[in-house]
Amino acid sequence: MRRTVLKGMAVALVASVTIGLGGIAHAEDAAEFYKGKAIKWIVPYKPGGGYDEYSRMIAPYMEKYTGARVDIVNMPGSGGMKGAVEIFNSPADGLHIGIINGSAMITNELAGIEGANYKVADYNFLGRIVADQRVLVTGTNSGIDSFEDMMTDGSTAVVGATGLGGSTYVDAVIVGEAFGIDQKVVHGFNSSSDIRTAMLRGDVHAMWGSLGSAAKGVTAGDHKIILHGEREPSGMLAGIPSVFDMAAEAEDADRKLAILDAWDGLSAVGRPVAAPPGVPADRLAFLRDAFAQAMQDPEFVAKTEETGRDIAFADGDRTGKIAKASTDLDETNRVLFVRAIKGEL
Amino acid sequence: MTIIEGMMSGFLQSISLSVIPYLFVGSLFGLVIGVIPGLSGHFAMAMAVTFLYSMEPGAGIAFILGAHATVAQGGGLTAILFSTPGTGQNAATLLDGPPMRDKGQAGYAVGAAMAACFLGATFGAVSLALLIPVLRQVVLFFGPPEIVVLAFLALTFVAVLGKEDMTRSLIAALLGLLLAMIGVDNVTNTERFTMGSDRLSDGLPLVPVILGLFAVAEMIDLWGRGGSLARHTSGPLSARDTQKQIFAGILVTFRHWWLVLRCSAIGTAMGLIPGLGSAPAAFVAYGHAKQTSKNKNEFGKGTVEGVIAPEASNDAVEGGALASTIAFGIPGSSSMAILLSGLFILGLETGPQMLNDNVDIIFIMIFTIIIGNLIGTIVGMFLVNPLSRATSIRSEIMVPVLLMVIVTGAFAGERSLFDIGIALFFGVFGYVMKILNYSRAALLIGFVLGFAVEKNLYLALLLDGPFFFTEPIPLGLSLFTILFLALNIRSVYRDRREVKA
Repeated sequence: MRRTVLKGMAVALVASVTIGLGGIAHAEDAAEFYKGKAIKWIVPYKPGGGYDEYSRMIAPYMEKYTGARVDIVNMPGSGGMKGAVEIFNSPADGLHIGIINGSAMITNELAGIEGANYKVADYNFLGRIVADQRVLVTGTNSGIDSFEDMMTDGSTAVVGATGLGGSTYVDAVIVGEAFGIDQKVVHGFNSSSDIRTAMLRGDVHAMWGSLGSAAKGVTAGDHKIILHGEREPSGMLAGIPSVFDMAAEAEDADRKLAILDAWDGLSAVGRPVAAPPGVPADRLAFLRDAFAQAMQDPEFVAKTEETGRDIAFADGDRTGKIAKASTDLDETNRVLFVRAIKGEL
Repeated sequence: MTIIEGMMSGFLQSISLSVIPYLFVGSLFGLVIGVIPGLSGHFAMAMAVTFLYSMEPGAGIAFILGAHATVAQGGGLTAILFSTPGTGQNAATLLDGPPMRDKGQAGYAVGAAMAACFLGATFGAVSLALLIPVLRQVVLFFGPPEIVVLAFLALTFVAVLGKEDMTRSLIAALLGLLLAMIGVDNVTNTERFTMGSDRLSDGLPLVPVILGLFAVAEMIDLWGRGGSLARHTSGPLSARDTQKQIFAGILVTFRHWWLVLRCSAIGTAMGLIPGLGSAPAAFVAYGHAKQTSKNKNEFGKGTVEGVIAPEASNDAVEGGALASTIAFGIPGSSSMAILLSGLFILGLETGPQMLNDNVDIIFIMIFTIIIGNLIGTIVGMFLVNPLSRATSIRSEIMVPVLLMVIVTGAFAGERSLFDIGIALFFGVFGYVMKILNYSRAALLIGFVLGFAVEKNLYLALLLDGPFFFTEPIPLGLSLFTILFLALNIRSVYRDRREVKA
């Protein structure tokens, strides 16, 4: 008797679980799915950097528009590759996303660096938080006042860079190659902070960097921006020549512009938020929508302005296209970039 | 805002009711993080920074910097009582702290360490204040050529560190330099000694290596030896005796004011140099104290000077380390990078703007360091009694519990199982070194400085050519290094002759 009761209970239990699961699977509406769930947001760097700050700033707004909790997990290592690989290989359930360093991940992938076990073009992008605005800065005491000066003053400019393949290095050699700049690129600095100190000491004359980190030194009068990679410069960059203006005027403009277009593609990827390949379409659409709303939330926008953090939102679809374009280089450019990344230029 | 006005305003803000509670909580948090082996100031700050979003600037600074400033204090407690460095900065304290504990002077050692920490931190903070008018020039004083030579100078202190003989110390230091080379070389992008491991390509992580060398090795030793941590003592000290010892320790630190001053100056100066970090500062201060002491032979056997020196210098580092962050907004260490982003979140600009318009903020930092360390000292004294009782627990209970804390600490920094493996590997390695009488301190110095030496040597060669050391400042420092080495070698030979005679 007792046994039958137990059996009956077991059957009922199994049945109810099956029905319950089936019910969820059928009535699944993405919004319903996310309600009360936890989204794991991977940051491939240590706490305290720009990537971490952006993530923590936007997380509350992602929570607001998804209805899920956002857990930020820092996963530093291999120059951001460890976290990028982790995102790429995590379950495609729409509950695992993260921010990546777009341009660095692309250059590492192109050069086939060990540990680059991901394909940037295959991520499902939610969108881009900010594009990298690359600028060439010189020390105010370096004697180089403009890009014109750098090209014509007859002396070799010393340009500081971090490791081989880092963006400070790739920018310097690619733009240097395009324009035939008379420069000596000294790489091996520990961080862009160290290059800035060296520039203040007068050990190096110039460096490439992002506008965000250069801005402070410029307002302080320590550095001067002499060239940038923006097509439509605004704010601090207004009135400063862009690489495209300079290339269009120079001889051999087509070759120069082809190189610079490819280079521009790298920084355009900027800092995207990505999910692994294979996320169900409805959940991806929902996440993209939530991300777009979060990025445009007036409160979030006000907060970024308050802290001086740039944002340059691009939706998931467009970010994906930008990423694809920049990994699909033509043969000449691909060879050139791989050589630049490997330090053979 | 003049400096005097800034100082007044900074002081009043620091002790105002809207700041001091945050400072108190921050300092307490830092102290606890410091006590736990493996969790460093870097970790404390990274945790604290996530709370800043809703804070006012003054409160936020006091909270985050307070948490960073007291970590070395908590770490000193663990070093003395449990032979385990709470943070990397306290590794030098292990040379004389635990021997004092074994002599039944745990309270005495802790009192001295706490007071030395407070005085060192105050020295560093006051130096920072005095340097404000010339801060930018001071920071730019150190370029790659100067750093190479200074790092070399610091390396030569290895020779006088331990009670081990010089040959063995040199072998250990060179091994440390070799270990520093593991990983992808930033300059050529080639992998060195990584044996194909992805994880090793970032280099050996510092915290697990220190934990392994000192903490895990000590646990193996204790397990093998049996008994309790505190040797030669008959049970724990009574609360009353501990209290008495603590006050005696504080008193003796003030009596050694000249030593405290010199070691604090070493700490502050080394804090100013980007990339050297605070662990070498403590060792250099220890070496200096031993060098200049009348009773050199007492070092390593539990002399209070051997505790005062490293603890004064590792807290004085803080004031120096802040300099480049404040002067240019350029962080000199990973902790300072976190501080910088914390300031960013609080809406504060560093660099000349801060020096000109927000001097009060700089003074809030300065007073935070001083008051934070005072809070740490007072709270730390209350911690001594319960913690020192734990040192007489039998090893069968103590080792598993401590080992669990150590392993958690190794894991927590980067959330990586691999780091636990590193800690355990270096635990065995450190134990073997201890048995064979090789200096683990020398190995650590080589390891910590190896990175700075190699990188800056490369840059100096590229920027200034092969004769970079002939420029005035590096030349002066090089001559000083040679002189120092010569003196050491001479004293070693003299000692030998005396032994023979």
